[in-house]
Amino acid sequence: MSWVHAFRERVTNLLTGRAWDRGLEEEIAHHLELETNRQIAAGCDPAVARARALARFGNPREVTDATRDERGPQLLEGGMQDLQWALRSLRKSPGFTALALFTLVLGIGAATLAFSVLDTVLLRPLAYDHAERLVFIQEKTPKRALRPASYPNFADWRDKAHAFDRVVAAQFPFGITMSPSGGSDTDPVRIELMGVSRRFFSTLGVRLAAGREFTDDEHKADAPFVVMVTYEFWQTRMGGHLPLGVLRSGDDVAQVVGVLPPNFQFIAPSDVFHPLERGAGTVRSAHNYMVVGRLAQGTRLESARAEMTALSKSLFATYGNATEAEDAEVRPLRDYVVARYRTMLAVVFGAATLVLLIACTNLISAQLARGWAREREVVIRAALGASRGRLIRQLLVESVLLVGAGAAIAAVLAAAAVRVVRAIGAGLVPRLNELTVDGRVFGFVGIVALVTAMLVGVYPAVRLARGDAGLVLRSTRGSANTVQTSVWRLLVGFEIALAVVLLVGSALLIQTLHNILTADTGISTHGVVTATISARGEAIGRIEQLRDELRHLPGVESAALADRLPFAWGNRSAPVRRPGDPVDHDWVAFAGFRVVTPEYFPVLRHPVLRGRGFAESDRAGAPLVAVISPGIAEKLWPGLDPIGRTIATNYLFDKWLTVVGVVAEASNWSMPRGSQNEIYVPLAQHPTATEGQFVVILKTAGDPHTLFAPVRARLRELAPNSPAQISTLDDRIARSAADRRFAMLALTVFGAIALTLAAVGIYGVIWYIVTTRTHEIGVRMALGATAGNVQREILGGAVAMAAGGILVGSIGGVFATRYLQATLYGVSRLDPTTYIVGGLVALLAALIGAFVPARRTSRIDPMISLRTEA
Amino acid sequence: MTRDSGELLPGTFEMLMLKALSLGAMHGWGVAERIERLSGGVCEIQQGAVYPVLQRLLRRGWVVADWRSTENNRRARYYRLTASGQRQLDAEIAWWRRSIGGVDRVLRAASQEG
Repeated sequence: MSWVHAFRERVTNLLTGRAWDRGLEEEIAHHLELETNRQIAAGCDPAVARARALARFGNPREVTDATRDERGPQLLEGGMQDLQWALRSLRKSPGFTALALFTLVLGIGAATLAFSVLDTVLLRPLAYDHAERLVFIQEKTPKRALRPASYPNFADWRDKAHAFDRVVAAQFPFGITMSPSGGSDTDPVRIELMGVSRRFFSTLGVRLAAGREFTDDEHKADAPFVVMVTYEFWQTRMGGHLPLGVLRSGDDVAQVVGVLPPNFQFIAPSDVFHPLERGAGTVRSAHNYMVVGRLAQGTRLESARAEMTALSKSLFATYGNATEAEDAEVRPLRDYVVARYRTMLAVVFGAATLVLLIACTNLISAQLARGWAREREVVIRAALGASRGRLIRQLLVESVLLVGAGAAIAAVLAAAAVRVVRAIGAGLVPRLNELTVDGRVFGFVGIVALVTAMLVGVYPAVRLARGDAGLVLRSTRGSANTVQTSVWRLLVGFEIALAVVLLVGSALLIQTLHNILTADTGISTHGVVTATISARGEAIGRIEQLRDELRHLPGVESAALADRLPFAWGNRSAPVRRPGDPVDHDWVAFAGFRVVTPEYFPVLRHPVLRGRGFAESDRAGAPLVAVISPGIAEKLWPGLDPIGRTIATNYLFDKWLTVVGVVAEASNWSMPRGSQNEIYVPLAQHPTATEGQFVVILKTAGDPHTLFAPVRARLRELAPNSPAQISTLDDRIARSAADRRFAMLALTVFGAIALTLAAVGIYGVIWYIVTTRTHEIGVRMALGATAGNVQREILGGAVAMAAGGILVGSIGGVFATRYLQATLYGVSRLDPTTYIVGGLVALLAALIGAFVPARRTSRIDPMISLRTEA
Repeated sequence: MTRDSGELLPGTFEMLMLKALSLGAMHGWGVAERIERLSGGVCEIQQGAVYPVLQRLLRRGWVVADWRSTENNRRARYYRLTASGQRQLDAEIAWWRRSIGGVDRVLRAASQEG
C-alpha cells in the first residue's frame, strides 16, 4: 500500500522535522566520509580528498534545502525556518517594514474602531436579559404615522394582549429639582425624572445594583413617594452609600428603594425613576408613553403584530377618533433604539473598509516592488533547487508576519482609542457609552488580519513565483520595470480612486453640518444664552424678578422668559379647536404649546407676520390672548384672517383664547417645515401652565459664552435652590446635529488617512521608477536632458496616474454617496463643486507624494550612473 | 555544441535510482556509487542530488527508509524499494525501452532517406 507509506512518511515529517533535519545532516556527513575514503582508496592525496568529495557532492546547504523542499508540507519546523527567513528579510529593510506596519496599523485600526462602534450600537443585544424578546409598541394613526402610546391605550394593551408576558410603559422624562442625601453636597440638583409602570425593570430583565424594584402597592396613585436612581447618580450624588438615602423636592421626601446597574439607559437619558401611576394620563390622544412588551416564550413577532392590530382595531371601533390609533406597530426594541443610526454607522464602517482596502493596496504594491528588487535573488535560489512553492511560502510568511504584527498593534491602539471615541461619541450616538473592545472585536481583528494577509501576501507571491526566470537573469537591473510598474500604477490609481470617494463623502458631510448650523431657523439664534431653571412652586413674580436681574448683567441687551427652549419640541403637542368643534375627536389641527413673555418675539427676532405679539397689557384679568403659527390658521380658517378669532388647546382645557397675532414658523432643520404648529400664550395670564420650568433667554452682542460665568454666579445668589442649565442656542442646534457630526468626523479622519496612504503609494511608485531607472536617466542627462526635463516627465506620469484614479473615484462617489442621501442636508450628493474640490485635493496629495522622490533625479550624476550599471 | 559526457538524459535519474535500489537496500552514498559503477563511469552525477530524489521517492511511497548499522558499525539510513516502487520501476523501464526503440528507429530511418 504505497499511500500508507506515503502517509506515514508525511506524518513523520510533520511531527519530527527537527529530528529529520539532524538525520539528513548525519546522512550527508556520512556520505562525505565514505566518498573521502573512496577518493583516498583511489589514490587521491588525503589532503585534497575531502575537497574532492565535497566537489562531487555539491553544496550541502543547497542539498539540504532541496531535500527539505521535497518533504511536502511541514507545519512545525519548516514554518519556524520560514519565520526566521521572513524576520531576517524584514530586518534587512527597516524602512519598508516601518512603512508597512504604519499602513497596516492605520488600516486595521480604523476598521477595528469602526467595527467596535457598529458592534456596540447595532449588533450587540441590549444589556437586558433575553433582550431578543423585547419589543417596542407604538400607535399607528390612520395616516400610518407612528406615535408613542397614550396611557389608556397602553393600559388596554397591557390588560388584553396575550402575546406578551408583560407590557410595560415609561413616560418621557422631565426635568425637576431634587436634593439628594448621602453625598458630599446636598444642594438641589436638576434631574431628569422618568415615570415607569408596574414591574417595568423586571420586565426589561434588568439586574439591580442595589435595593429592589417598586412594589405593586407603591404603584398605587396615593402611595408614598418612592424612587429608584441610576448607578451613576447614586455614585456621584449620593455617595454610593447603603442603606439608600432620600431625595427631597420641596416638601416631598422620596425614599430611594433601588439602584439600577451601571450604564442603564432606557431610550431617553434620565437619572431618577418613579412609579408613573402617581400622574398617569387619562387622555387617549396624549402620546406620552414608550411601551415595551416582553414576548411570551415561543411567541413570534408576527403573531404579536397580528394580535396588536386586531386589538387596536377593536379599540378604535370603541373609542373612534379619540384614540387616533387605528393600528399598532410592533418591532424589536433594539431596532427602535438604534434605527436612526443604522445608515450612519454603516457609512462609517464602509469608510473604514475603504481605508483598509487602500492600506492593503499599498502593501501589495510595496511587496511587489520588493519582490522585483529581489527577483534575481529568488531566481538564483530557484536555480539552486529551492522550489517555487517554498519561495511563495516564504513570501507569504513574511506578509503574515507583517499583518500579524500590524493587527496586534492596531488592536492595542484601538483598545486605547476606544476611550477617546467613547468620550466624543457618548453624547452623539446612543449606546456608545457601552463601547468596549472585547472578544468579538478581537475576533473581528483576527478575521480582518487573515483576509488582509491573503490579499497582501498571495498576489505578490504568486506573481513573483510565476516570474520569467530567463527574463530576469538576462535583463540588466530594472529594465523590465515598464511592465512591472504598469501593475503598480494601476494599484495606486485604485488607491486614489478610493481616497476620492472618501473625500467626496466627507466634503458632503462637512457641508451638511455647515448648512445645519447656519440653517434659517426663522429666528435669530446668534448671541442667545439660555438658562433653564427648575422652579416648581416659585411665584411667577420671583421668576420675572430673576429675569430682570439677569437683564442688567453687563453685556446683556435684552431678556425674555419662556417655559421651554426654542426648538425643544419634545412631546408637548395637543389638539387645538375652534368654538363648536367636538372635544373628543375629529381634531383638525395639532400644535405645540409655549408660554412666553412679551419680549420673547423681539429678543429672538421672531417675525410677527400679522397682528401683534404680546404686550404688558396682556395680564391676568385682561382678555385671554394667543399668538399662532401660520399652519394653524391655514388648518382652522383656510383663506380667512385669523386675527380676532377664538381658539382652544387641550393644554388649557376650557379656556378660549383670542388670536391677536401670527408669527413665522420657527423651524429646526430636524423638523420638516410646516409640521410644527405652535400656539403661544402670555406667561402673565397662565403662570401655572409652565410645569415648574422656566427658560431665561438672554441676548448679547458679544460672545454668548462669556455670559455663562456671570449668569451662573447671579443665579446662585438669587435662586440657590434652583440649579440652572446654561447653554447657547447655537450650541443646542449643533448638538441636535450630533449624529451627523459623528459621521462627518469619522469620514474626515478616514479621508485624511486614505489621502496620506495614497500619497505614500505614489511616493513608492515614483521612488521605484527613479531608483531603477537611474541608468536610463543618466543616459538621457548625458545626452543633454536637464534634471528639470526629467522631473517634469516624472511628475507628468504621476498626474496621469492620479487623473485616472480621480475619474474612477468620482464615478465611484456618484454611486457610494447614495448611502449618504438621507444624511445630507442642503447639498446635493452630486454637487459638482464638491467633486472638483475632492479631485483637486487628491491631485495635490499625489503631486506632493511624487515630488519628493522626483527631486532625487537632480542628484543623479550621469557619469556615475552610467558606470554603476552592470 | 558537444554534450558533457556525464550529463544524464532528462527523466532518467529517478529510474536509475529505483533500479539501483531494486538491487538491494542501500544508503544514499551507496546509491550514487552504484549508479556510477554500473554505468561504467558514464553516468557521473552530482552526488548530493540523490537526497532530494530519495525524499521524493519516499513521499510517493516507492521506497521506505530505516536506520541501520553499516558493516563498519556506523549508523546509516537505508532505503529499500517497496512493491509499488518495483511496479513504478517496471513501468519506467518499459517507457524507457519504448522511447529508446522509437528514437533508435528514427535515427536509422534518417540515414536511409538521407
